[in-house]
Amino acid sequence: MKLGKKALAAGVLAAALSLTACGGSGSATPSGGGDGGTPYVAMISKGFQHQFWQAVKKGAEDKAKELNVKITFEGPAAETEVDSQLQMLQAAIDKKPTAIAYAALDPEACVPAIEQAKAANIPVVQFDAGCKSDYPVNLAKTNSMDAGAMAADHMAELIGKSGEIAVVGHSQINSTGVERRDGFLNEMKAKYPDIKVVDVQYGDGDHLKSADIAKAMIQGHPNLKGLYGTNEGSAVGIVNAVTELGLKPGKLTVIGFDSGKAQLDAIRSGLMAGAITQDPIGMGAATVQAAIDASKGKSMPKVTDTPFYWYDKTNMDDAKIAAVLYQ
Amino acid sequence: MSEVKSVPRTEASADAVKRESPGGSFLRQRLQQSLAFGTLIVLLAFFSLASGNFFTWTNISGILLSTAVIGILAFGTTLVIITSGIDLSIGTGMTLCSVVTGLLLVNLQLPLFIGVLGGIATGALMGLINGLNVSILKLPPFIATLAMMLIAQGLALVLSGVRPIYFSKVQGFKDIALGQLIPGLPNAVLILVLTGIAAYLVLGKTLLGRYIFAIGSNEEATKISGVNTGKWKILVYTVAGIFTGVAGVVIAARLDSAQPQLGSGYELQAIAAVIIGGTSLLGGRGSVLGTLIGALIMSVLINGLRIMSVQTEWQTVVVGIVILVAVFTDSLRRRREA
Amino acid sequence: MLPAVVQIHEYRPQGTSVISEEVGETVGEPLLKVEGISKSFPGVQALSDVHFDVNKGEVIALVGENGAGKSSLMKILSGIYQKDAGTIYLEGVPVQIDGPRHAQELGIIIVHQEMNLMSHLTVAQNIYIGREPRRLGGLLLDEKKLNRQTAELLGRLGIKEFAPTDLVENLTVAKQQMVEIAKALSFDAKVVIMDEPTSALTTSETETLFRLIGDLRDRGVGVIYISHRMEELKRITDRITILRDGKYIATMDTATASQHEVIKLMVGREIDENARPENVRRDNVDDVVLRVENLSTRKLLKDVSFELRRGEILGFSGLMGAGRTELARAIIGADRMTEGRIFVNGKEVKIGQPADAVKHGIGYLSEDRKSLGLLLDRDVNTNILLSSLGNYTNPVGFMKAGSGKGTSQKYIDSLRIKTPSMFATTKNLSGGNQQKVVIAKWLARDCDILIFDEPTRGIDIGAKEEIYRLLNDLVARGKSIIMISSELPEVLRLSHRIMVMAGGRITGEIDSDGADQAKIMDYATRVEQQGAEK
Repeated sequence: MKLGKKALAAGVLAAALSLTACGGSGSATPSGGGDGGTPYVAMISKGFQHQFWQAVKKGAEDKAKELNVKITFEGPAAETEVDSQLQMLQAAIDKKPTAIAYAALDPEACVPAIEQAKAANIPVVQFDAGCKSDYPVNLAKTNSMDAGAMAADHMAELIGKSGEIAVVGHSQINSTGVERRDGFLNEMKAKYPDIKVVDVQYGDGDHLKSADIAKAMIQGHPNLKGLYGTNEGSAVGIVNAVTELGLKPGKLTVIGFDSGKAQLDAIRSGLMAGAITQDPIGMGAATVQAAIDASKGKSMPKVTDTPFYWYDKTNMDDAKIAAVLYQ
Repeated sequence: MSEVKSVPRTEASADAVKRESPGGSFLRQRLQQSLAFGTLIVLLAFFSLASGNFFTWTNISGILLSTAVIGILAFGTTLVIITSGIDLSIGTGMTLCSVVTGLLLVNLQLPLFIGVLGGIATGALMGLINGLNVSILKLPPFIATLAMMLIAQGLALVLSGVRPIYFSKVQGFKDIALGQLIPGLPNAVLILVLTGIAAYLVLGKTLLGRYIFAIGSNEEATKISGVNTGKWKILVYTVAGIFTGVAGVVIAARLDSAQPQLGSGYELQAIAAVIIGGTSLLGGRGSVLGTLIGALIMSVLINGLRIMSVQTEWQTVVVGIVILVAVFTDSLRRRREA
Repeated sequence: MLPAVVQIHEYRPQGTSVISEEVGETVGEPLLKVEGISKSFPGVQALSDVHFDVNKGEVIALVGENGAGKSSLMKILSGIYQKDAGTIYLEGVPVQIDGPRHAQELGIIIVHQEMNLMSHLTVAQNIYIGREPRRLGGLLLDEKKLNRQTAELLGRLGIKEFAPTDLVENLTVAKQQMVEIAKALSFDAKVVIMDEPTSALTTSETETLFRLIGDLRDRGVGVIYISHRMEELKRITDRITILRDGKYIATMDTATASQHEVIKLMVGREIDENARPENVRRDNVDDVVLRVENLSTRKLLKDVSFELRRGEILGFSGLMGAGRTELARAIIGADRMTEGRIFVNGKEVKIGQPADAVKHGIGYLSEDRKSLGLLLDRDVNTNILLSSLGNYTNPVGFMKAGSGKGTSQKYIDSLRIKTPSMFATTKNLSGGNQQKVVIAKWLARDCDILIFDEPTRGIDIGAKEEIYRLLNDLVARGKSIIMISSELPEVLRLSHRIMVMAGGRITGEIDSDGADQAKIMDYATRVEQQGAEK
């Protein structure tokens, strides 16, 4: 009886640990590579819970269907879990896929694993963020520094090139968070001397936390003219703060990043001036295409810039923009 | 020697408490037990002096609003922790509850109250399962609720299809948190107060509360006194689950959406609030008022640091230090008393 | 091995006694009767075929050495354990006691020996736990009524030492014991079981208790009274039932029973109560090895000073809660002392934590071997070497393979620890042998000063003798021993000198030559006078 209980407890614990270890996987396609000659691309993403990654996944899946390729798409539960992402990469290598598509959470930590892929002769392409290794054939990414600078230009324009602004970031570690922030800050410094960035804080992309941060910023800096949120959670958090404080639309210029229904609604209603969007669906498609090309030995550039766009009330329903926005 | 030093300080803080609450002896007695209250006053005074923007009604109401979710979770957890248990599933469990509410209201377009009750019932169900695992299967609460934490996290993602559910089309849902039945005060704060009163009544005035303290104090003795401790423990976890459900509805209403990836980490903040408020992890000791003060300390501190534009990294460090200091002074005081 | 003498109340097989129509009216039908009770635990036959009975308005003593089965029997009667076999008759009707609650409902109430109180609750909340008065249709607790009925109860019982709203954690051990008793008497009891209720009580509290027992008897309640104190049994009990090794031995009328006879039956052989240590060698006692000066702690101890000499057994006697264990804990640094100095071999030492004490050669053998003294799930070898692991590891901290086995074997042999091998799991050893493992642990660490806290608690009588011999051996070899013991005969028999404590102070020092139980009890109950002086 006692043994039974212990065994049960151990079982639950083991299950819990294994759950934590894999974080979660996007789509559960059976393991094992290239059965029946269908090419198989293993995609290791930075995450899967965020809308952005869901859109990348969708782009990849559509492309895979078109090319008659099998793909798996997985990523860790949080974009801080560098270690569990590497375990996923390791597992992918062991499955001997036709090609691996990888988005590095940490540019250094991934190097040994990429070397193993090289040793196993598996071509590697990358998306969103690269690993510091020469082996991967192609990196499809958005130039986040440039995107941040574009957000800065629009912010400056909207507030009349002078006044106080602040930034709600989503990460001070992860590369997109850092680059979107630095691109924005550098541009402000270089081009708009009359604009003062009074505060930069980080809400981990958590909507509630970001809202509380934005409220404190607005409270602490009564002359604040603009707020910039570096991803969907940060931007929507700012919008929530503005709503909760009952500020009149336009009193504060809010600029966001990425899309998602709440952000789109905020732009339509005028609470948010506009936002930068990448093309995650296009990124997913381009990545699968690159992976197949790489497996066939085609040559291609080291980096493919995937596009990013400014969108606001005026252009968000244009076909080109609407295609890259996700709800 | 140390005794001599300690005396004036204790008296001073007791005086401070007295000044703040000229009212009932009950309140005074409870507050005196809690150094946390003194800490809260010191923090409020400090930030008011440090920044002219801190002590405004908008900001105070903002602080109260940001206390709501963690506070409600912490009330439920207080009950569990006094039994010397723990509930790690409240953070992601809260998220699951908000996702269920979303499914009921958005996907199935059921009436508002059904969505709300559905979310709360989901919390109760999770709590019930936690309670059964602890009481019947005799799993340690840490393990049982850790498992539930992961299950809830997974289910929230599965049920939502890894997408946020937006309530923008559900009339009046947002008002649950952000409407103002009392002008100037968001409803979420009202719910925080009401759940606090409910938790206080449960703990202080009902049989369940009595057995919560008894079990935490000496479970074996309670059992041989003829109390069916297993049954009551199941009830404790279930009631804690109801609080989780309420928190789930409140956070969904505040964000006007159910964010399935949210929630992990909220349990630790809630537990920290409970501990700062003077509830013992060893059980048998604790109060709802203390927990409220603990939750307020956390949100006042974070809000104040944000207003002063302290770097996010350092904010985290300061919160950690405050938890250490609060718990340490509390245990120091107890050691003196003992 | 022993002729069952003086069996005054013959065991009468049940078959003949028909359940009476007029239950409770029949003269001669006992209030509570148990027959053929057996209970076994893995590896132990705790009770086999035990029978006894108690009549209305009668106080019966249940005596026996530790391990005789008294506790198991009481736990069966109070519903905590389920019996394997046998029948319990209450007022002539066979009853099946399903659990603690059921026992209470039947009117069988137990005052537990170990404190079974919820320390964070008030007196009233403790007494009526599980029976709380409520209002608003049972929704809310009626705290006022609870406190009122508790006040009534305490008034009826003549207990003035505490109020219904006092927190139990703020009460002294003795008062807590009174709470336990009040709780038991708050039930509409038919049978009250008291398990060594006076072990923590002062004289006046004991008087209060005896008065309460008298009241119960007058009301027709049957009382089962478990105690070792023969004077008490003489005063308040009508009959004495003796158990040994889980078996029924005899029952006799208190009035005619002699103390000598009772002890002989309990122990199973002749015991010379006045036996002195066989090999106390006074010439062996020389220098002071440990001197404690003016030691006080925040909680209990006040101004405690004493000296321990080489080759001496210094007995510490006193009631529960007198501060003996607290003194030991303060000396070894487990509790902080607020004042006082400690000298080892004439040099003052600072002891901030138990590791410091060990460094100075002071080993403490806890009263609670199972939770504080031993790793029960590990083998004997590990336990013996636990405190001296540093001697058997390489500089990096890895155990040197096979090292230390010689040491373990040495002590297993010299202390005659009965174990299948040094790799046997410690929990499978008997209590006496577990105690020897703890002793070996400290000897392996070269401790010269050993503090024994209740060295023979939970150890059967045969093994006790061996522990006594071992203690004498140790001092003969130049070790010095502080022995804390609640068993007066043990203290009297082994100690060279006896320190008596009460209320956190040393109230008396007695040389073993002039010591007797009365003298010790006199000092042990002095706390009240001291309190009164203040």
